[in-house]
Amino acid sequence: MRNLWLVARYEFRRMVLRRGYLLGTLAVPLGLALLVGLVAAVAISQENNLPVGYVDPTGLLDPAKQATLPDPEDRVEIRAYPDEASARADLEAERIQAFFVLPPDYPANLATDLYFLEDPPRNAVWREFDDFVRANLIAGLPADVQTRLLEGSEVVVEDLVSGRTFSSNEIINFVMPFFAAILFMIATMSAAGYLLRVVADEKENRTMEIMITSLSPTQLIAGKALGLLAAALGQLAFYILAAVAIIGLAAPRVPILQALTVPWDYLGIAALFFFPTYALVAAVMIAIGGVVTEFQQGQQIAGLLNLVFLLPILLIGSLFQNPGNPIMIFLTLFPPTSFMSIMLRWGLGTVPTWQIIAGWLLLAATAIFMIWAAARIFRAGMLRYGQPLNVRGALEALRS
Amino acid sequence: MTTVEVSHVSKRFGQVQAVRDVSFAVAPGEIFGLLGPNGAGKTTTIRMMMDIFKPDAGTIRLFGGQMDEAARQRIGYLPEDRGLYKDLKLEPTLIYLATLKGMDEAEARQRLTGWLQRLDLYDHRAKKVQELSKGMQQKAQIITTLLHDPDLIVIDEPFSGLDPVNTRLVKDILEEQRQAGKSIIMSTHQMYQVEALCQRIVLINRGETVLYGQVAEIKRNFAGNAIILEGQGDFGDIPGALETRHENGAWHVALAIGADPQAVLRHLAARPEARVERFELAEPSLDDIFVQIVRDDTRGVSSRHEGDTPGEEAAGHA
Repeated sequence: MRNLWLVARYEFRRMVLRRGYLLGTLAVPLGLALLVGLVAAVAISQENNLPVGYVDPTGLLDPAKQATLPDPEDRVEIRAYPDEASARADLEAERIQAFFVLPPDYPANLATDLYFLEDPPRNAVWREFDDFVRANLIAGLPADVQTRLLEGSEVVVEDLVSGRTFSSNEIINFVMPFFAAILFMIATMSAAGYLLRVVADEKENRTMEIMITSLSPTQLIAGKALGLLAAALGQLAFYILAAVAIIGLAAPRVPILQALTVPWDYLGIAALFFFPTYALVAAVMIAIGGVVTEFQQGQQIAGLLNLVFLLPILLIGSLFQNPGNPIMIFLTLFPPTSFMSIMLRWGLGTVPTWQIIAGWLLLAATAIFMIWAAARIFRAGMLRYGQPLNVRGALEALRS
Repeated sequence: MTTVEVSHVSKRFGQVQAVRDVSFAVAPGEIFGLLGPNGAGKTTTIRMMMDIFKPDAGTIRLFGGQMDEAARQRIGYLPEDRGLYKDLKLEPTLIYLATLKGMDEAEARQRLTGWLQRLDLYDHRAKKVQELSKGMQQKAQIITTLLHDPDLIVIDEPFSGLDPVNTRLVKDILEEQRQAGKSIIMSTHQMYQVEALCQRIVLINRGETVLYGQVAEIKRNFAGNAIILEGQGDFGDIPGALETRHENGAWHVALAIGADPQAVLRHLAARPEARVERFELAEPSLDDIFVQIVRDDTRGVSSRHEGDTPGEEAAGHA
């Protein structure tokens, strides 16, 4: 066991000190920070807290209604003007950002005129003025009806089996699983891909024979896989912490982020599928590393296999059409694509429990089989310097 | 107690019988030569000893038992196909490999300093392995083999890539290890190094043992019972001599089968009129024996001496 941990520690250190790893670890949070920063910057640049004026010759609007709206302190001031001339004078003096004029026939056709200098008011200002007008129009209705009309409609879909709800006001909760799934998969594939490199390196550097007379091949491979898994998890943890910090800092300025909730169920499912998926991908890479004589050969084979693992991304069109279509169900149950399929489907709806359980069991069974097969193929191929193990040799290794 | 006991091991890969019924034993304080032409089965035999391959038949005992974690840590192995992580620095690489052999990191670092200084690599310790010359890499691998102070040292071509100075240094190190009671199994094609270092050898050809025993005894068995004499006096009348001739200032004496050269030496020393300045057993070199055995064996010519069996440490043809 000591040697297993020594190998794991060594591979972890070697991995985390690589320039590529450091760049990859920092690039994602920096990219996210940049994106959120841009959104925040745009929001701040559009921010204009000057009052909005209105001219109401019909006498329909009561200025006092403004105080009855929800969160009055977060709203721009809505200022009444007796005529267009005084409103225009304040607009030109930049004491207000715009003013609305309600024509005499407003009650009949509900159309208004808006005056501004260069930039129209942002959408939030429109909504706030709408709320003010709406509050006046419904003033004679019962209080509960008024409240209902002011809040507007929100369609919430609830899955009766899982209890998960989906709201059109929480679009961020749809989008985040996609990003998270891709990040998880990148972490898995990069760690496993690096495993291929370190296994092939042992052969290329001809250190294999020294290593396997110091520790067993199982300890060697398990140590490498654990070390790289730790590096991948470290990278993911850094991503998550950075995301939490960035979102926490940006949320007050970016309203869309305020609706974001921690998807604990999603994270639980992700953790459940992450480990067997990593074991499966790692076993495949070890087997490839055992078969080939040079890293580049292995990379070519692994590149083709990676396409299989990324099939759900390639078929994302069918996912958007219907997350529960037969292709997506197949990909959910197909071990190499289970993890990615479930993660992507999670954002758009619910995945039936039986599919999660069946997908996980098939994935775990395949991972165990692949670990067994990879160990045998690795043993058969590990000392074949300059001579790849052919398919026949690999099959013989499995049968022996 | 023997350090290594290989008993009647065989190994087949598909249709190829790589090793057949090979036996030998190695004791502490001995440098043992494992010899054979390319493809003879030496590497397969070593890999079976190292538990990389399981033998199809026969047994291998190390330190009196089976290969296990403790036994692994008592072995220093310099394989035929060897290398170090090329893109890593020398010192941490050697420390890492030593810790895998059970050493504490601090102890490995401390002991490594001495080895690096002795093998003139200390100033290169911070370099990447790929920046070192072939000879330096060879010396680094010898350090990897010895750093954890193993009781059994298995080395394949230890002098490969070394200049005469470093060859002598490595020979001295191996001799020191032998004197310290370590068992050393050396595989090499440099027969003069085997003659200089090994007490006993086994010669494997086409997977089978063809020669096994004491180097001196093997050479004597192949010597054809001849001696070369130089000195003053009449050496024409020597007991046990079949033929005596004087050529180029030296007497060449062919002895009868069973005649003991030591008895001849004693006889000459007792003769007051004779002054012996050179007394040499006219033995063939190990290189000549190797070529002769392998050539005969490959031709299918059996030159086996009756009564010599490898398992019984007999010197001569197996």
